[in-house]
Amino acid sequence: MKTNLFSSSTRVMLALLLALSILLPSAFAQDYDPDAVLTFATNADPTLNPWTPGAVIESNLINTILFEQLTRYSPEDLSPVPALAVSWEAAEDALSWTFKLREGVKWSDGEAFDAEDVAFTFNDVVLNDELGAQSATQFSQVSTVEIIDPLTVRFVLDSPFSALPYYLASFTGILPEHVLGDAENPLTLASFNKQSPVTTGPYKVAEFVPGSFVRLVPNENYWGDSPKLAGIVFSVIPDANTQVAQLLAGQLDLVTRLNVSLLAGIERDPNLEVLRQSQNLYYWVALNQDDERFTDKRVRQALLMALDREAMINAVLEGYGTVATGPIAPLLAALYNSDVADYPYDPEGAKALLEEAGWTPGADGIWEKDGARLEISMPTGQFGYLVPATLLVQQYWADIGVQANVDVIEWNAYIQQVVVNRDYEASLAWWSQPPTPDVSPYYSCEAATTGNNIPNYCSEELDQLMADGRRALTQEDQVAAYNAMQEYLAEELPYLYLWYPDIISVKNSRLQGFPEINASTAFQFAAEWYVAP
Amino acid sequence: MFVFIVRRMLQGVLVLFLISIFTFFLVNLAPGGPSSLVDFQSTAAQRDARLKQYGLDKPVHERYVSWLSSAIKGDLGTSINQGLPVGSLLAQRLATTLQLALAALLLASIFGVLLGVAAALNNNRWPDHFVSTISTLGMSIPNFWLGIVAIIFFSVQMRWLPASGSYTIGKSFSLADRLEHLILPASVLAFSLMPNVVRVTRSALLEVKATDYVRTARAKGLTNRMILWKHTFKNALVPVIAILGLITTVLFSGSVVIESVFGWAGLGRLAIEAANGRDYPVILGVTMLAGTIVVVVNLLVDLLYAAVDPRIRHD
Repeated sequence: MKTNLFSSSTRVMLALLLALSILLPSAFAQDYDPDAVLTFATNADPTLNPWTPGAVIESNLINTILFEQLTRYSPEDLSPVPALAVSWEAAEDALSWTFKLREGVKWSDGEAFDAEDVAFTFNDVVLNDELGAQSATQFSQVSTVEIIDPLTVRFVLDSPFSALPYYLASFTGILPEHVLGDAENPLTLASFNKQSPVTTGPYKVAEFVPGSFVRLVPNENYWGDSPKLAGIVFSVIPDANTQVAQLLAGQLDLVTRLNVSLLAGIERDPNLEVLRQSQNLYYWVALNQDDERFTDKRVRQALLMALDREAMINAVLEGYGTVATGPIAPLLAALYNSDVADYPYDPEGAKALLEEAGWTPGADGIWEKDGARLEISMPTGQFGYLVPATLLVQQYWADIGVQANVDVIEWNAYIQQVVVNRDYEASLAWWSQPPTPDVSPYYSCEAATTGNNIPNYCSEELDQLMADGRRALTQEDQVAAYNAMQEYLAEELPYLYLWYPDIISVKNSRLQGFPEINASTAFQFAAEWYVAP
Repeated sequence: MFVFIVRRMLQGVLVLFLISIFTFFLVNLAPGGPSSLVDFQSTAAQRDARLKQYGLDKPVHERYVSWLSSAIKGDLGTSINQGLPVGSLLAQRLATTLQLALAALLLASIFGVLLGVAAALNNNRWPDHFVSTISTLGMSIPNFWLGIVAIIFFSVQMRWLPASGSYTIGKSFSLADRLEHLILPASVLAFSLMPNVVRVTRSALLEVKATDYVRTARAKGLTNRMILWKHTFKNALVPVIAILGLITTVLFSGSVVIESVFGWAGLGRLAIEAANGRDYPVILGVTMLAGTIVVVVNLLVDLLYAAVDPRIRHD
């Protein structure tokens, strides 16, 4: 008979001990510093409500931590992944989307989150035209949000909108109905926006001193794993040079959207990491289509061919950017179509095209046709590098006999003149949009004159192509629809496409668990950030 | 004296009223609109809805009357871009600005007067040249540049002082902490204002030194020190007070550049943010506050003249 060395109960004990000896060290070892507080910079006072008009760049990142959305971006490929919604599907007719909500989510004040909050956010805030909510136009195809049960909502659409889950991942935080439901205007309640908002994110507001800082602490009601930091401070530092000095002094852990000209000292610092990121963002020159000189696409093509965009990227962006081929950035790998008409620098070709279009050089070398001259008024605003970029365009155009009269105006007045009144002939600016190929807010006939279609370009063919894309629910159909759209845009040039800039962020290397794809995505995963001990 | 004060105060009210009319119409008729209402990505429908909410669709004169009637009752309205009451914004920012202003004023007047006296006593000798070199530097170096250099040296290289803010975030009140944050911005600000004080002190002293009564005092056999403090200095003070009064009004309205570079939430930054963002109620509030400060400080300066120089009387 075989003798057992250990009785069965002893064996069980031994097995348990063995298991414990494996588990214990990992349970007790600190793989992060629980007392760490991160400090970030913001250039002005944030407004803690993602839908309040004027809550833009200074508010976006902090609001992304505080207010969770139905979806967020995958750090791998920016496709929509679960956040407050766990799954979603479109109806077969593509005229509605149904979202299943996450169970057991609580607001930072302890109240339960449910479908009421989603319906309130959209029906009473975003779709309420009287409020003029920020980004509301992105949801103009949504007619209403219906509550199916406490954890299911249905977005009912006026027309197909396949990009909805993408748009829902972009600065569209859900608001608490039980707090804002009775407010006269839920977007301007100062006790919420400027003091202590009720949120579902991993961190919540502990203190807000206007003009100075906002301090966040872990939200003990957060549905996911406990956050790994003791706090996050957003410090209001308007001066970019001071931000850089503070980074170098170790007093700041992250600066996003840094001007490339400030990178010099940073690259030498071993504690700082420069992140070269991208967004679905492109710079353009708009040629006002109300002006008959620009309705001939050959003129638009010639004016683009006259620009040495590689050289402009080197001059204005110190090389941090790539030449744009259309409104969809290569970042959207699955849908980006590089096989489209491109316009390499060719001043002679540009002149030939103008001649073909019936223009002749006048006595002073400026092109003329039927009494019209290619003398273009080109207002530009004092913002970022718009002025130097505009001056380069002016020089390149002068080389081929096109005279641009540049008028530099203050930014706010520029918006009034160019965006509101469309009082311009050519102007250089940019669009930034969620990582979706649905560009209709910037190109549709509906958006001309009053919407974001600044050049007032209107074509039924393009509207049809965009509608095909919005109807396409499978990626295969989307690729087909959007490839055709990109070919059309590159040929027609509603905007002259300039470049996709790299977005430069700098972080202290002590900040770990930070998805590197871009800042907007990284901030949707704030719960995973930590500082190594 | 009493009549003088009352008359000056009534004049002050009239001045403020004119400032309010002028500013209100100027900012409201300037191109552009509040940045939260008229931003780059908003559409015509969104803009119209927002303008209506804030009553900005009404004619300018109607808006002025309603602003004035509530301003008289002490209500300066609500910031369009920030959603906070203008009164509380001003109070908060003024408190921060005053800390910085008083510290800079103290430094500028102490060092300015001392250097001015040293220069006048050593007229055309090396201390005079030395002081005038420092003054020229202070006058000509832009303070945003000096501020950044100071941050790079004292806070990035040496790590002695914090680079920005008026106190350490999340820490309970401590005087040492406040002072640490105050040193850099106050010194940079004082350095650029001091030259005015130096030059006025020096020239006023030199002028008084050449007067008959100083020669008489010297002839009496008084020591140089006695002459300086008993006869010269007090009589040279009037122009110095005048220049300090001017500096005070500038300082109390907030220093835009220094507050931006050092991340201080003061009045200057509030003013520039409001102007850039066309935040009409805030622009008006800041302008009225600055106007009030100028009126009050000027009155105090006039009263101070009389106290220093008995020949000046306000009756």
